[in-house]
Amino acid sequence: MKQLFAFITAAVLATAAQAQYRLIVPQAPGGGTSVWATVMAPHLSRALGEPVIVEHIPGASDIPGFNRFHNELQKDPKTIMVAHGGNAESFLTDRVDYNYGDYAPVAMVNLNIAVSRRADFDVEKDHIKFGSTSGRRPDVMAIVMMACGPKPNTDAYIACYKQRMTFVKGMKPTDARLAALRGELNITRETFVSHKKFIEPEVAKGVFVDWFNHGVLDLKTGRIVQDANFAHMPTFEQAYRARWKQAPQGEFYDAYVLVKSYRDVLQKSLWVGKNNPNADRLRDAVRKMLADPEARVEIIKDGGNYEWFVGNDMAQAYKTISQRVTEPALKNLYRFTVDGMGLEAVYKPELIGKK
Amino acid sequence: MDYAIWTLAGIVYGFVMGLVPVAGAATALIALFPFIDVFRADPYILVCFSTAIVVASTIGDSFASVVLNIPGASGSAATMVDGFPLAQQGQAGRALSAAITTSVVNGAIWGVLVFAFLPVYATWVLNFGIPEMMMFLLLAFCSVVFVNSQYWFRGILALALGVFVGLIGQDPITGAARFTGGWDYLAAGVQLVPIMAGILAFPELVEAYRRRRVAVTPVTGNWAQIVQGMRDSWQHRWDGLRGGFVGAVIGIVPGIGGNIADWLAYGQTVAANPRESVPFGTGNIKGVIGAEGANNAQKATSYVPTILFGVPGAPFEVIILALFMMVGLELGTPSLLADTQFFAAIGLSYAAALVITFVLAMLFVRWAQRAINLPFAWYFWPVMAVLIWTSAQYTGYWEDYAVFAMCCVLGLAMREFKLSRAAFIIGFALSDQLEKIWYQYHMLYSTWDFATRPIAVTLCVLAITVTVWGLFFNRSRISYI
Repeated sequence: MKQLFAFITAAVLATAAQAQYRLIVPQAPGGGTSVWATVMAPHLSRALGEPVIVEHIPGASDIPGFNRFHNELQKDPKTIMVAHGGNAESFLTDRVDYNYGDYAPVAMVNLNIAVSRRADFDVEKDHIKFGSTSGRRPDVMAIVMMACGPKPNTDAYIACYKQRMTFVKGMKPTDARLAALRGELNITRETFVSHKKFIEPEVAKGVFVDWFNHGVLDLKTGRIVQDANFAHMPTFEQAYRARWKQAPQGEFYDAYVLVKSYRDVLQKSLWVGKNNPNADRLRDAVRKMLADPEARVEIIKDGGNYEWFVGNDMAQAYKTISQRVTEPALKNLYRFTVDGMGLEAVYKPELIGKK
Repeated sequence: MDYAIWTLAGIVYGFVMGLVPVAGAATALIALFPFIDVFRADPYILVCFSTAIVVASTIGDSFASVVLNIPGASGSAATMVDGFPLAQQGQAGRALSAAITTSVVNGAIWGVLVFAFLPVYATWVLNFGIPEMMMFLLLAFCSVVFVNSQYWFRGILALALGVFVGLIGQDPITGAARFTGGWDYLAAGVQLVPIMAGILAFPELVEAYRRRRVAVTPVTGNWAQIVQGMRDSWQHRWDGLRGGFVGAVIGIVPGIGGNIADWLAYGQTVAANPRESVPFGTGNIKGVIGAEGANNAQKATSYVPTILFGVPGAPFEVIILALFMMVGLELGTPSLLADTQFFAAIGLSYAAALVITFVLAMLFVRWAQRAINLPFAWYFWPVMAVLIWTSAQYTGYWEDYAVFAMCCVLGLAMREFKLSRAAFIIGFALSDQLEKIWYQYHMLYSTWDFATRPIAVTLCVLAITVTVWGLFFNRSRISYI
C-alpha cells in the first residue's frame, strides 16, 4: 500500500516538477543503453541532488539522437548524451554529424563482448553462419581471423570471409540468439549480462561452447587485457595463439583492434557540450554515485563489473583509442566493411591523427 | 494484500489507457519507466501491476473501436468494421458485450494453456524457423488481400503501398538509408502509431463530421443488450474460438507482432461464414466476435517466447522485458523458469484482471454507448488531441507532428479511392519482416528447402488455398476500406 502511495506521489511530482538534468538516449525504451541509463538515472539524481530524467530520441543505427545532441541539444547545460558502442563504430565509418572530440567527457564504462559457438560446430570444416545487428564488425573480424588463420593482407581476409562465412543481415540480437539456439546460425555473441542469462545455461547443457572474449582496455599500458568478468574464457589473442601457434598481427588485425577499441571502450559513455559549466559537477556526481555501495551493486548487476573512467581518465582513454586511428587501419576497416561485408560505409581520413 | 491492491491499480490504469484511442498496452507500460524504483523492493508487485495493465487495456481497447470507429489500439482495429455499424444501429451495448465476453473467454483459455504448460512450448517455438516464418507471412498477405478486401486488386495495391511505406528507413542489408528523401528522422522508418492514428482514425473522424446530422438509432435496453451480446458470444463460439486460435498462434511466434492478429482472425471469420444474411462490414456480430477472439489470446501467448527465451512475442513485450529486467527478473533464464512466486504472481494477477475487468467493462458499457449520440463537436477535439499526443510520443519533436499530418492526408486519400486500409496496415506492419526473412531464407536455405519442413508446407498450402478460394469462391468480402 505504501508503495502504491509512493508511486502516485512520484508520478504527480514527476509531472509537476521541472526536470533538471536529462539523459539523451539515442534508442527506444527497452534497448540495452536505455535500460542502463534508466537504472543509473535515480542514482545519479541522488548524487547530484537534482532530478535526472531519461529522454529517448530513437532512429536508424541510433545515429539521429546523437546527431540531434550535436546539432542542437549540447548547448543546453543540463543535457547529457548517453552514447554506446554502436555510435562509436558508426563514428568511424558512417556519415554522422557527431564528433566525440567536440564534447566534454563526463564518464564512460569500458565493456566487453563474448563470442560463443555451438558445440556441434566444427571451425575447421563447417561454413560459419553468424547473425548481424549493428556493432558486430569486431566480432566478424575476429571470427574470420580465427577461422582463416594468418593471411598476408586484408584482401586475403576478404576472400576467405566470402568463402567461409555467411553474415546473415537484418537480425536483431534476440532474433540472432534464437536462430543460434535453433541451429540456423552456429555462432552468437553476447554482452556480459546476456551471456550470463542466455548462453551460460546452454554451455552447461553442452549446446554451446565459449570461444573467446575481446578483452578490456588497460588504461595504464594502453593494452587489451583479460576481463575478470570472463576469466574462464580466453581473450581473442589467447584463443588465436592457441589455435594458430602465433600472435595475431598484420593490417587486418590492426583494423580489428581499431574498431574493437572504439566499440568496447566507448560502450557506454556520457558527454556534455564542450564549455558546459556543469561538467565538473557532473563528474563529481558520477564519482559520488560510484562510491555509493548500493548504487554500485545495482549498476554492476545490470551491466557487469567494469571499470569506469571519469573526467581526465576518460579523456586519457579516448586519447588512447583515438591514437589507433591510423590511415592503414581505417582504410582496411572501410574496405572490409564495403568489399567484404557489403555494408554502406564512408572513408573518413579527417579522423586520422585527431584526438 | 499488496499484490491485490497493485493488481486493482493496474486494472484501473490499464482500463483507462485502453479507453484512450490508439494508446494500447505499450503506451501504458512505457509510462512506468520513471517510477521503476518503486518496484525494486518487491519485483512481484511489478509483475502483478504490469500484467493487470496488459489485460485491462486490451479489453478497454474495444470501446473506442465500437463507439467512435477509431481503433482503441493497434490490436483492436478490426473490431471497428462491424462494431461501429452495430453501434450506429443502436446496438453498441450488444457489440461491446460480445467483444468483452469473447476477449475474456479466449484470454482465460489461452492464459491457462500458457501459464500451466509453459515449458512444453519451448520445442514448438524452436521449430518455427526462418522457412516457417516466410510461409506465415505469405499466408498473412494472401488472407488480407483475397479474404478481407472487397476489391482485391486494390487490396494488392494497398498492400504494396503499405509494404513500400514500411520499407522507408534503413536498408537492413546494407545499413544505408532509403526512400527518406534525405530526412534524418525517417532513417528509423515511419512509426506505427501515426500510421494507426492517421490512416485508420483520422478519416473516421472526418467521416463523423460528414454524418453529424445523420440520426443514430437511440440506445435502449442496456442490460438486455449486454445479455444479448453474451448470448451472441455463446451462439457464435466457434468464430470466437477460431479467432482465439489465430491470435494465439501469432502471439507465440516471435517477431510477427500483434498488430495483424485481429485482421487475420477477422479474415478467417469472414471466410468461414460465406452466406450471411447480414453482410460483413454492415454490423454482423460474428465480425466483432471473430476479431475480438484474437485480442487477449494473442496477448497471453506472446508471453511464451518472452518468458522462455527473453524474445519479445509482441511490441509491448519489449517494454515488459526491460521493466522486469530493471527489477531483477531476468526473463528467459532458467532461474526465472524455476521461480514459482513469479508464475504465481503472473498467473493470479492475469486471472484476477480478466475477471475484474470483465465486470468493470460490462458496468462501463452503459456510459460508453452514450458516446455514440454525443454531438460531434464534443468529441472531435478531445479525440484529435489524443491522436496527436500519442503520435508525438516517439520523439516529441516537430517531425512527429509532420508525419502524423502526412498519414492523415494519406488516410483520407485511401478512403476516397477505396484502397483497403487494412491491407495497407498489414503490409506496413510486416514489410520489415518480409524483407529480412526473404533475405535470410536465401542466405541460409535453397529455394525448395521449405518443402522438407512440415509446418512450412502446411502454411504454404493454406496460403494457396486462401488465394484460390478468395479469387474464385469468396462471396462475402467485406467493404471496409
